[in-house]
Amino acid sequence: MPILEVEHIQKYFDRTEVLKDISFSLEKGQVLSIIGSSGSGKTTLLRCLNFLERPDKGIIRVKGETLFDAGDPATQQEAEIRKKRLHFGLVFQSFHLFPQYTALGNVMLAKELLAKGQPGYDARKKQAHKEIEEQAKELLQQMGLSDRMENYPHQLSGGQCQRVAIARALALQPDILCFDEPTSALDPELTGEVLKVMRELAEQNTTMVIVTHEMAFARDVASQVIFMDDGHILEQGDPRQVFENPKEERTRQFLSRFTQG
Amino acid sequence: MEQIIEQFPVVLKALNIGFLQTLKLFFVTLIGAFPLGLVIAFGSMSRFKPLSVATKLIVWVIRGTPLMIQLLIIYYFPGLVLHHPIWGGGETGRFLAASVSFILNYACYFSEIYRGGIQGVPVGQKEAGLVLGMTKTQIFYHVTLLQMIKRIVPPMSNEIITLVKDTSLARIIALQEVIWAGQAFMKGSQGISGAIWPLFFTAVYYLIFNGILTVLLGRLEKKLDYFK
Ligand SMILES: Nc1ncnc2c1ncn2[C@@H]1O[C@H](COP(=O)(O)OP(=O)(O)O)[C@@H](O)[C@H]1O
Ligand SMILES: [Mg+2]
Repeated sequence: MPILEVEHIQKYFDRTEVLKDISFSLEKGQVLSIIGSSGSGKTTLLRCLNFLERPDKGIIRVKGETLFDAGDPATQQEAEIRKKRLHFGLVFQSFHLFPQYTALGNVMLAKELLAKGQPGYDARKKQAHKEIEEQAKELLQQMGLSDRMENYPHQLSGGQCQRVAIARALALQPDILCFDEPTSALDPELTGEVLKVMRELAEQNTTMVIVTHEMAFARDVASQVIFMDDGHILEQGDPRQVFENPKEERTRQFLSRFTQG
Repeated sequence: MEQIIEQFPVVLKALNIGFLQTLKLFFVTLIGAFPLGLVIAFGSMSRFKPLSVATKLIVWVIRGTPLMIQLLIIYYFPGLVLHHPIWGGGETGRFLAASVSFILNYACYFSEIYRGGIQGVPVGQKEAGLVLGMTKTQIFYHVTLLQMIKRIVPPMSNEIITLVKDTSLARIIALQEVIWAGQAFMKGSQGISGAIWPLFFTAVYYLIFNGILTVLLGRLEKKLDYFK
């Protein structure tokens, strides 16, 4: 059974149809790369998965459980949606770190707030805090940021910020981690360090949906590629096939922009 | 010079009493305008159109007219035009009218500062919190509030310093604040008349008080300097 199933998602902004009948599925431990030109709906799709936007039609299922069904209001209750979000993580293009917390604080905050809501928290407050801190430190270490834990975001480079953001998303152990052009806001010399940690995550079989313009990276890391065009999935398949042998003329045109110069 | 030294204790005592009234008006204005400004800010940001339009209109009128005129209208209008004085007589009545005018006026200025602070926090901050499974309340207290305060403190400091000086406008309805007290010695009071120096000397009170405020507010601003 796929870990993620998306069926016939449609999304309108006012009267513009931004997502047009999007369907795909993803197996656990696999990486899906989404490519496509600006305005094709990639960000909107990720925002739908994370319930920042509500699709007008369609179904989202994780591990067989229907998290969202546009036709079933019972799946759209606010309090439930908050819990459902935890199946997904999202790394934004421009990080959105919390400026008043250190790198470590950024990674710990949500997990601590979540722990506070659980029964019996007060009794084991110290213990819980320690566990969360340990886990956060481990994640930052994994991101190569051992010596940056006490720094505030404004003291970090873009690449470091994005790695903190990845650790922050991982702290909640999402089933599926989404990335929206994680290196697009970075200076070219800083993209490498972010792609490196993402590559490592892929090697550890983290299930990921990655929107990116890094074609070489997408080809190497992805198990599946989707090419989006004007709200449609125009082409979908094995990265080899999509990159080396695209079926559609539009895909060919799009890719040629990245291989030339 | 000799005369001034002779007059000094009497004048100082009178000015102190006047300045106490100045301080009272200053603090009452802040205590009233801080929360009222927030209410007005939420009103002007409301998605309910009639409310936001009405609030913005009020803010526009109050910010677009001199506080002095507002003071005069609020103090005299009920009695002279409606023949229904509501402020009561004497210093208490004047203080009440001045307080209402100042609170209303400053709340409108504060509301704009609050609005800037609230809207200045990027939506990405809220969205990052949502994606991490936080509730809206958690996001407000743990993510956005401090960022708003950081944005609000510098412009608020400016307004607070201005308020110290603006309290002197209450003199127009004869509130016995420090300038009124200084001026009394020109007309004649407690055996001193024709003395202009007490009036000039009131400036020292403003300078000292604003000096203290500037240092305190500067420290607060500095405290929030650890993040950007
Ligand atoms: N909040 C919004 N309101 C109205 N239109 C939007 C909104 N967000 C995105 N769009 C429109 O939806 C389309 C797809 O946008 P987006 O998902 O950001 O594309 P991409 O990430 O592929 O560049 C664009 O035409 C964009 O202008
Ligand atoms: Mg985008």
